[in-house]
Formats: sequence, structure tokens, C-alpha cells
Amino acid sequence: MKELFTLKGESDGTATSGDFPLYSDILYHDTTPPWTPPTKVIIPFGLKAKVWAKRFAAEAESAFEIYWSKDATVASPTWELLDWQKLAAKGELTLEKRRPIVIRSLTGKEGFKVSWSQPTAAKAYVELEVEFTDEE
Amino acid sequence: MDKVTDEYGLVTEGEYLTAFIPATGKALVFRVKSRINRGYERFHYGPLPIPANVPLPSYVGGAIPVPANGVLPGTAYIPVGSGLSFPLPGAYDESDMWYIPKEWRERLFHVIAEVTPKWLRCDLEIPKGVSQRRFQRDKITVGVEKTFGYSRGRIETLHFPNIHYGYRFGNDSNLNVYTGVDFTYAEYIVEIPKDSDLIFNILTRRVPSLWMTMPISVYVDTIQRAFTETYGIDGFTVYPVTKRSEAISEYNTLLKAVEEREKA
Repeated sequence: MKELFTLKGESDGTATSGDFPLYSDILYHDTTPPWTPPTKVIIPFGLKAKVWAKRFAAEAESAFEIYWSKDATVASPTWELLDWQKLAAKGELTLEKRRPIVIRSLTGKEGFKVSWSQPTAAKAYVELEVEFTDEE
Repeated sequence: MDKVTDEYGLVTEGEYLTAFIPATGKALVFRVKSRINRGYERFHYGPLPIPANVPLPSYVGGAIPVPANGVLPGTAYIPVGSGLSFPLPGAYDESDMWYIPKEWRERLFHVIAEVTPKWLRCDLEIPKGVSQRRFQRDKITVGVEKTFGYSRGRIETLHFPNIHYGYRFGNDSNLNVYTGVDFTYAEYIVEIPKDSDLIFNILTRRVPSLWMTMPISVYVDTIQRAFTETYGIDGFTVYPVTKRSEAISEYNTLLKAVEEREKA
């Protein structure tokens, strides 16, 4: 079993750091409050999340971080840095992975999020190609 | 073993199909005379028929309302008793496209349902409302709401006449997802072979057939009645090869009941 999907996020351009709200063709999207997009992904029990590709873009210097948590289901998870990329100035960066970032769900509570941090607030964008799978 | 299926996993014309019922140790044996939908086996059905605003139970407790038609909320699942049927305008039963009456006993649907996203947990109620997944006899009931007893993304089954099935799904990510289902199916025209030797040889695997073990571990009256009213019998006992004469004797008796039902 494997399902590949694209996650897309966009910063608000006013905060110098934050977690990307995540959108996808497969994710329910509603513009009516109180709906809000997810900012974290909990991996289904027993599966792996594989991040096969990362695309980052920003209007100014930005760092992009992927964090994972052993228990992303609680209100304030403990996040650990898993991956870090930096754009030194306005630009974009595309990284295709022959060997993906792998995050395992051993308890059904593991999850990940994508964050940005900037010296000066500016728009930042991220796209991840993520696969949920039970295969190696 | 000789290949009796095509590239879709569906039985080719002239080959045999065995539906084994674990709860009884019996099997129904069919010869596939024809496949009506040869050449158009794929059916993109569209979203799962999950209606908006229905509250669904959650893996983390409480209930979550479905935000829009066809959306399965994160951490939500379809509970026992609420298994889905697939409506189709113009079908014999417009609320359940795979349901056919007992009089259509020459028809049999072989259905492979593949859902999007594929990580969704899947199981079947047979009949609708009856969970069939068990562990250690009846000690533990399992299924999409438990940590095991389900498949992900795919269900393959035979739809027998006179029984409504319920399809259950669960989403153990936190993401509210748009769903979809693709069916690969065969509408077979079938007959039960009338040769007891042949049935014995099929059930002892000397004659090739597609052997499908049905997820029926709880044999409720509805199933037994549906089989008997449709076929005249509820299956042929699967004997070991050493009990040939006992099997043949029983099969001859059962075949008379099959023939009487077909004449009725």
C-alpha cells in the first residue's frame, strides 16, 4: 500500500516564524471559519511517511525546518528537528531525494510539521511530496 | 496451478470459482459461464457515499461531524451498523448497487474496491450491521476501529444475491480527506456444477479454481437463509481427500436441492 500526495504551505508574510498551514488536493479545504488548515501531519498507525521531494521558495532569507514528534497528538507536542534548509536570500530551492526522509509510525501518534524562520518577515512557500506506505 | 484469472484478478470464462465460508467449513462452487462486462471492468465510482454533517466516532473519543459529502474526517471511522452501500440510480436497489435478489441466482458480482486515499482502513459487514472480524474465537472483535483486523485501501469480495453488505472505513491520520473509490468488478453468469466428482476435485484442489475465502466468521441466520433461498443449499462441506465416498454421497444429496431450487 502506498499513497503519494503533495503538501503545500504558504507563510503569512507578517510573522518571522511559524508552522506552515498545509493544503493538498486530497485534503478537505473550506474557507468558512472556524475551519483552519492542519499544521501537522499524524502518520497512520504502522505506516511510514516518506518525504521524497522538497521545494522551497521565499521572498527573503529564510530557513525551512521539518520537525517530527513521538507524540504529535497532544496539545503541545515535543518537536525534534529532522531536516533544515536555508535560502540565503530571495530565491527557490528544489531537492529531489533518491533516498527519502523516513518517519515511522510505531504507535500511531508520530507526526511531523514544516516550519519557517526568517530575520525579516517575508512570504515563504513550501511543497513536499509525501508518501504514506507500509513498504520498505 | 493453472491460471484461472485475468490481469484484473477476475475469473475467466469457463473457469471455476470457489467461495469458502470459514464459519461453516463449507464452500459454494461456481463455473463462470460468462462475464457480462468483459472489456469494461473498471468503474470510477467517485467519492465514498458519506453524507455531510453525520457525526462519526473518533479514535480519540467523541464524535466528529462530516464537513462535506464524501469527506472522511481525520481520526474518524464508520461504526458497526453504519456500513456504507453504494447508491446507483436505476439499479435493482438504488441504495445498493451490488445488491441483487435471490431470483437472480445466475448472477454473481466479484468486486475489488480500491479507495483513495489508500491509507484508509477498510473492512466489511456481512450482512450489513454484522461485523465479521474476530480474534481468538469470539474473544475479541476487531476491525477498522481497532488496532488490527482491517486492510488498507482495498477490499475484494463476492457479492452474493439476497445479502446487503456494509463497507466500513477509518482514517487514522489527523487529516480530513476527500475520498474516492474505484471498482474493478465482474458481473458473472454462473452455474453450480452438477457433477459431485468435479465438486470434490475442486474442493480438494485437484481441479483449479479461484479460491476466495469470504470474511464470514459469524454465521448469522441472514446469511444461511440467503444462501439456502438463492441456491437451495448453504454450501458443500470441504472434506479431506481421504473421505471421498462420504463427500460424494453428501454432494449428490445437495445437488438435488440445487436442481430443485433452479427449477422453482
